[in-house]
Amino acid sequence: MNLFRREMKASRKSLLIWIVGIIAMVAGGMGKYAGMAESGDSMNELMADLPKTLQAVFGVADLDISTPIGYYGVLFLYLLLMAAVHASMLGANILSKEERDKTSEFLLAKPISRDRLLTAKLLAGLVHLIVFNAAMWASSVLVVGQYAAEGESVAAPIAELMLGMLLVQFVFLSAGFAVAGAGGRPKRAVAISAGVMLLTFLLSVAVEVSGSIDFLRFLSPFQYADAAEVIESGLGLGFVLTGVAIAALCLFAAFVGYRRRDIQV
Amino acid sequence: MNIFWYELKAYRGTTLLWTASLAGIVLLMMAMFPSFAKDADAFREVLQSMPEAVMKAVGLQLDSITSLIGFYSYIFTYVTLCGSIQAMHLGTSILSKEGREKTADFLLAKPVTRGAVFAAKSLAALTLLLLTNAVFFGAAGLIATAVKIASFDFGIFALITLSLLLIQLVFLAIGFAAALLLPRMKTVLPVTLGTVFAFFIISFIGASTGDGKLRYLTPFQYFDRSYIAAHGGYEPEFLIASAVIAAVCLTYGIVRYAKRDVQAT
Repeated sequence: MNLFRREMKASRKSLLIWIVGIIAMVAGGMGKYAGMAESGDSMNELMADLPKTLQAVFGVADLDISTPIGYYGVLFLYLLLMAAVHASMLGANILSKEERDKTSEFLLAKPISRDRLLTAKLLAGLVHLIVFNAAMWASSVLVVGQYAAEGESVAAPIAELMLGMLLVQFVFLSAGFAVAGAGGRPKRAVAISAGVMLLTFLLSVAVEVSGSIDFLRFLSPFQYADAAEVIESGLGLGFVLTGVAIAALCLFAAFVGYRRRDIQV
Repeated sequence: MNIFWYELKAYRGTTLLWTASLAGIVLLMMAMFPSFAKDADAFREVLQSMPEAVMKAVGLQLDSITSLIGFYSYIFTYVTLCGSIQAMHLGTSILSKEGREKTADFLLAKPVTRGAVFAAKSLAALTLLLLTNAVFFGAAGLIATAVKIASFDFGIFALITLSLLLIQLVFLAIGFAAALLLPRMKTVLPVTLGTVFAFFIISFIGASTGDGKLRYLTPFQYFDRSYIAAHGGYEPEFLIASAVIAAVCLTYGIVRYAKRDVQAT
């Protein structure tokens, strides 16, 4: 419990900075919608006729950018990118920092098992994700709601999108955990974790531009919460299961690997 | 000179990896150009049946985006994103690692002035970026020639590719300044990724409406590729803006590096 509390305190400041960033991004991004809304309609009809690969280039996918929620969907990819950066760095950092700061000797001499140590750190990481997600959720509902027409419900699709974001965050946190816990190079763990995240982001862009390599979508968590799809029909069960399976696998690797690893002191 | 060679060697692996990934992105994305161009052709036929006003509004844009230069401009966004991370990481890391790895007293006890240390380090960083760009330029040129359907203007292609170096130089200078602004930095990556992604997302928000003022805020918008394609040159005011940012950061770096307290253990 002490360890959990310590972790919560240690990254409090950075979490606060992230939350300020989230609010600025949501408010700033949707602020642009006001200007778009008038000219959106005729543009939108035309966009719908574009081939899928061209839509990807314009960044609209199947979204109706003349509605607030559709415009938010375009913005969502970038919010998701923020969440992924946060989660992948947090997951790797929370574990690998002990070795980097040469405090692992101190920590591991405490009378707790490595499993409990990992559990406490994982819990702290999860709470961070949830706080991050809640901040995103609240600011999105508030800001998008401002632009919504009378009687139009934006809360439901945003809720679905946020669950998708939480899934993506969870996958990247677990991946970072696995890299730092089971990998042999704790000093590079954060870099590797962020590198993997960036790679899957580029893969996601490639999938959208190409339009013909859809089977690769399962390899990139960014595709699990594809805004157009989620707003249209909710989260895909296949993606949720894949995401949870990848996360579970990563966590399993982290626990098993960390239990028997040499810690550099 | 010793410091210069030492740094070149220290960052050899990382730079190779970055160069390979930058070329990899171009290869991955440009490989999709032929099928993309075919899609665009089909759509252009659909456009023929549209009213002339609509065609004028979109057709022009479509023509520029479906050409090889247009497609390359689009994917170049992601190249600059990765390139900026490389540059800022290099700049921050090369100046701050002595403090982090507790080798500062060793380095500064050598019979060289701090100015000379700074000069050697920044020259090494510059050389690494120049090498990255030289290799990248060659690779991108080869790939573009391989996938082209019609001939394209190589001068404009070269200008766009060269803008990577200019953006990288701006971020390198920002990295220098960041290293000295935050002397107690434990890891470089969070600061780097935070800064670069923040600029990247601001750039997206600015681009979606073409807001003129907002463009000054983010180096990603300094070298507008549709402007380069149309005018065959860079926008002078933004060229000046990037020079000013780089000069301010560099001056701050030189002055601060010569005076600051160095933590030695």
